[in-house]
Amino acid sequence: MASDVISDLLVSVAREDRAAFRELYSVAGSKLMGVLLRILRDRTEAEDALQDLFTRVWLKARAYDPARGSGLSWMAAMARNLAIDRLRARAPLTDDDSALELVADTSPRAEAQLIAKGEARRIGECFDTLEPDRARAVRGAYLDGHSYQDLAVIHEVPINTMRTWLRRSLIRLRECMEA
Amino acid sequence: MTSHFDDDDEMAAEYVLGVTDIAARQAAEARAKRDPAFAARIVDWEVHFSGLNSEFASVPAPDLMPQIEARLFPKAPKTPRWQRFWGVGPAVAVLAVAAWFAFVPGAPDLTATLAPQAQGVSYQAALTGSELTITRVAGADADSTHDYELWIIRGKDAPVSLGVLPAEGGRLTLTDFGEGMVLAVTLEPKGGSPTGNPTGPIVAAGPLTRA
Repeated sequence: MASDVISDLLVSVAREDRAAFRELYSVAGSKLMGVLLRILRDRTEAEDALQDLFTRVWLKARAYDPARGSGLSWMAAMARNLAIDRLRARAPLTDDDSALELVADTSPRAEAQLIAKGEARRIGECFDTLEPDRARAVRGAYLDGHSYQDLAVIHEVPINTMRTWLRRSLIRLRECMEA
Repeated sequence: MTSHFDDDDEMAAEYVLGVTDIAARQAAEARAKRDPAFAARIVDWEVHFSGLNSEFASVPAPDLMPQIEARLFPKAPKTPRWQRFWGVGPAVAVLAVAAWFAFVPGAPDLTATLAPQAQGVSYQAALTGSELTITRVAGADADSTHDYELWIIRGKDAPVSLGVLPAEGGRLTLTDFGEGMVLAVTLEPKGGSPTGNPTGPIVAAGPLTRA
């Protein structure tokens, strides 16, 4: 795995380098704020989660292994987990209005092309092998933090149908990614 | 190479996608802690989906570092030795990444003799242009759990790290230096000061003077 700035900074943070920690915040903070805000949809909560996130990054940086992925991916996974945990602690989505509002934001962004590289192209191609509504459901889960229940409401299918959609989509995605 | 998609795969993928409720998420986390094979499946799915991360747009974040640092580091780092010896001010952020090379002698403009303060370690330093070379002239390596770290003290400012010293000395480029500034070497935990400020005893120090 080629070294990247964030990866190098994480390695320094693992050695309790506080200057590197500050640099990491200035380099990666806005990207991670984007992850948290998209899933949490609440600025105040996202800022609170960003503090939690960097607190965890400091404490867990030793667990980061540059061989297993980019520094940003490692932190993004942590950010997503943190945001989704907070989301699941809230009341589930039930009414159609908020569902429609949530549907709006699943299209790829122009920024994607800038950072994309091989992995993004690969998963993009693999999503193309799924039926469009199922691809949207998987993307909605990953990018917007939608639960099975949210997805069932958004796509107007029974929750067990949504489970089947996702299971089949995951099988096909993995076949495609590992092909 | 596609293996069978079993219940564990589904559980790992559901966890990574985040579609389940809190109870199922906590069950997956507990499982990952005691079952490395399951934890590896989670990492596999994270890697599979990481290509989507580029679709998260950046959103300017306010500077929350003061709050984050207040959580993590409730007390200010101690610098009593430095204050006693050099009368320096409060802690400052130090972003000095020193690139050390093999020792190469040159005709110096400024020199410093870093006289031993403890442990009998001393250094000779020389500045040629903006290139600083420093050589250990007495004393032994730090023990296996410590390193020697070089600092520059500009007037009344807090010491700024120039990096951990290679065993016998080394060479680096200095950007801001002048006669009267002090070079000092401290004993720090392996890898250098954890705080960005000196934390250990001074082992050698001396001012830069005209050669």
